[in-house]
Amino acid sequence: MKLDTSTDPQVGFRPPGPLEAATALDRYDGDFTRRHAAHLLRRAGFGGTPSEIDALASLGASAAVDSVLHPSGDEVAFAAYPDPALLYDDKTRNATAQNWWLDRMLRTRRPLTEKMTLFWHGHFATSIRKVPAVLMVEQIDLLRTNALGNFRTLLVSISKDPAMLVWLDNRYNNKLHPNENYAREVMELFALGLGNYTEDDVKNAARAFTGWTVDKSLAAVYKPALHDDGPKTFLGRSGPFGGEDVVDIIAQQPVHQRFICRKLLEFFVYSDPEPELIEGLARTYALSGYDLAQTVGTILRSNVFFSTRAYRALPKSPIEFTIGLLRLMNVSEVPKDTIGWLQRMGQEPMAPPSVKGWDGGPTWINTATLLARFNYVNRLVKAAPPRPPSEAPPQMTGTTATSATMTAATMPAGTTTGTAMTAAAAAATFPAFTPDDIVRQSGGLNAGRVLAAIVADTVQDDVTGDVRRTLADYLQSTGASLPTPFGPENYQEKIRGALALALNLPANQLN
Amino acid sequence: MSKRRAFISQTLGIAVLGGSVPSFLASAVDAQPLPQLGTTLDPDNVLLVIQMGGGNDGLNTVVPYSDDNYHRVRPVIGIAQGDVLKIDDRIGLNPVMAPLDDLFKEGKVAIVQGVGYPNPNRSHFEATQIWETASPENPVSYGWLGRYLDRVVPALKIGAAKPPDPPQGSDPGEIFAGVTLGDTVPAAMIAQHVDVPAIGALNTFGYNSGKDSASKTTAGTLYDGARPGQSPYLSLIETTARNAMHGGDVLRAKIASFQNAVTYPSDPFSAQLKVAAQIVGAGVGTRIVFVSIGSFDTHAGQRAQQDRLLGYLATGLHAFYSDLAAHQLQDRVLAMTFSEFGRRVAQNASNGTDHGTAMPLFIVGGKVRGGVYGDHPSLTDLDNGDLKYATDFRSVYATVLERWLGHDPSDVIAGNFGSVAFV
Repeated sequence: MKLDTSTDPQVGFRPPGPLEAATALDRYDGDFTRRHAAHLLRRAGFGGTPSEIDALASLGASAAVDSVLHPSGDEVAFAAYPDPALLYDDKTRNATAQNWWLDRMLRTRRPLTEKMTLFWHGHFATSIRKVPAVLMVEQIDLLRTNALGNFRTLLVSISKDPAMLVWLDNRYNNKLHPNENYAREVMELFALGLGNYTEDDVKNAARAFTGWTVDKSLAAVYKPALHDDGPKTFLGRSGPFGGEDVVDIIAQQPVHQRFICRKLLEFFVYSDPEPELIEGLARTYALSGYDLAQTVGTILRSNVFFSTRAYRALPKSPIEFTIGLLRLMNVSEVPKDTIGWLQRMGQEPMAPPSVKGWDGGPTWINTATLLARFNYVNRLVKAAPPRPPSEAPPQMTGTTATSATMTAATMPAGTTTGTAMTAAAAAATFPAFTPDDIVRQSGGLNAGRVLAAIVADTVQDDVTGDVRRTLADYLQSTGASLPTPFGPENYQEKIRGALALALNLPANQLN
Repeated sequence: MSKRRAFISQTLGIAVLGGSVPSFLASAVDAQPLPQLGTTLDPDNVLLVIQMGGGNDGLNTVVPYSDDNYHRVRPVIGIAQGDVLKIDDRIGLNPVMAPLDDLFKEGKVAIVQGVGYPNPNRSHFEATQIWETASPENPVSYGWLGRYLDRVVPALKIGAAKPPDPPQGSDPGEIFAGVTLGDTVPAAMIAQHVDVPAIGALNTFGYNSGKDSASKTTAGTLYDGARPGQSPYLSLIETTARNAMHGGDVLRAKIASFQNAVTYPSDPFSAQLKVAAQIVGAGVGTRIVFVSIGSFDTHAGQRAQQDRLLGYLATGLHAFYSDLAAHQLQDRVLAMTFSEFGRRVAQNASNGTDHGTAMPLFIVGGKVRGGVYGDHPSLTDLDNGDLKYATDFRSVYATVLERWLGHDPSDVIAGNFGSVAFV
């Protein structure tokens, strides 16, 4: 049995250069810079603010990965459910469920768990277009609970999950009228891949899954009267199998181990990973008894994860891009129109295009989706909260790097401090990361240092000299829209504009 | 081209469904031989696909007015015999569709009756996927139009070696081969290699930085100046971003020379058709345009809602056809409707209809062989209370692929479903 990768659009997007297969999954103990820290935060979460990156960078590789795998401190006290009045109203239910999850991605202190929840959502791709919103909320909870647990447990749980029973019709699967939909997708999409089972295996697995259904209130139930307890032959084994037996047999297939490890590597490391890399991780996965925390931990600690070949080697998914942007900009609440923007970017949460999930990789990138990314950035970053009336603009510093007369200590009250912040405080969806933060970080209104701060904060200096010069020209440009060079009267607009440009650079499209 | 011609001449023998043709057209259609495709197919032919989202009720679109069963199961929402725009002694159009009826009388409209597929799905989401991917049995990642574009447009996406396009005034080339008018790319237009722009509004299609024009200029420069990257994704992003940054300006510049010859109605669907005519007229290499109108999901109070939408459809298409004709472009465009399902035969308790199965499709264009294709589905020989389909939707797709776009249908659609003689 072997993996069929013929339909994976990510084939062809493996980074150039050879894999050092013998040591690829060994622990990385090399340099650990801000760029390494930012890479870890992006892949194992949704990115970080400059101060989060700095804090992580100071730990070194081993402790940094530990802190990602085993976060200390309490989780945010999230409500178990969205407001029922909104969740059960036909007009508001879908957006309510979707925003409830996006909010969790934005504010969680367990970003890796939420990232793995997103991974499993793409894997067990279930859509709110067919399934009631409340069941989607419960399925996402199930995925979160098992996100870094045991795959066998996860697969048994998802097989009994009401949203899945509705989505793939196992609710209608009974011994008189078998419905093969779920049994087929378990093997094709969830655990083995095409070519590794026969039509007879599908029929027998469907019989094994009979009896797992939902009652009138859409709660999961097992109805023995509907279950076919006759003998079955499945993947070469015979017995009066039930659903859990089928899951056990699937998990024991070496091709399953490679199937799931390949998908994890494509999510965390790079597209179309080498067979030797997949084999190596599959051994870890099998030895651990399908333990996902150990398997993902092995990836995150590895040489290949921190290699230059893996660095910015994957395109950000729209959700990674959006939540990463909101986190970087310190936005405290997901803007309400974000769902619409995610549709335009090609990844509406809880609404994958089919049970195959999102293809990802190159399919994230086209003119329509890129323009949606660009214009979402422009809209968010350039949307300034109303300036408090008492605020006076800061003064220009000297033109040399050492003559910073305007510092954080002497700046007038900005939009995030002082007394006149009523309008801004109410506007939770405006970025809290403001031009004044950049000015403070730069030690004053110096165009060169402001630009350096912007490029460091947004893309960890992953730009060429040409790009830096182009951005510097923008700050000093005297076009009709911004008639004067960078200065006290226009620094807010100029910094917002430069921030947006930096966030729209190719480097920020890459994870 | 010679390969394509050879293919077409081989497949001309495919069985076609006989049309039931209105009497005033019958002689003309019967006398007209099938066009010699090899010589008449224009490589610039454009297919306009119109999605009627939500599930359009076919029985109140093409009305079987002489069938007593129709009036019996639809006592409130049924259309009275005297109101119908009669096509023959059995069927007629909803009276709000008079502008389309005019085109029908000119022989520019084909109606394909009873279109569907085996084991019909009644979920909006799943049925839409089935129609848009033309793959009822297995989920596939790319739409039927996307797969066509992948076959005919040189790969742009894996185009790492492709030199950057000149930024301004250049030939837009392949980037407008398929165009969606709307905010998101529908499943039908999702391609593996070909980039399908989604144009919500022509004037805002592009990089929007508000009053800050310097930002837009700079953004374009940043991507123009980008070096070829090492990561395959970096090259893809840079190439795509250049198209995204400049495509709108190129398109607007090209379109500026095209003046719409008619005044379009003000509804959003007609606004899309107005842009579609501009895109066709501008000559930007477009093969497929996708537009949509909805929602036809008329579970309650159907008449008001469906009549309004069918009115938009008919007046919009009439304006579009007239606009094209004024520019002598009517023979280069073929418009085709679809909907994810028809609706149940009987009205429900809310004077609406619930999700059903087969429905009629409309094909409009200067080269269309006007008439009615296939019999109206029986209202008594039903499948679980729903109409039985007679024509597989994939045969309609195969027809436009083969006989309009000159492409081997088996290259795009799995299985052989024959064709329909409407073009």
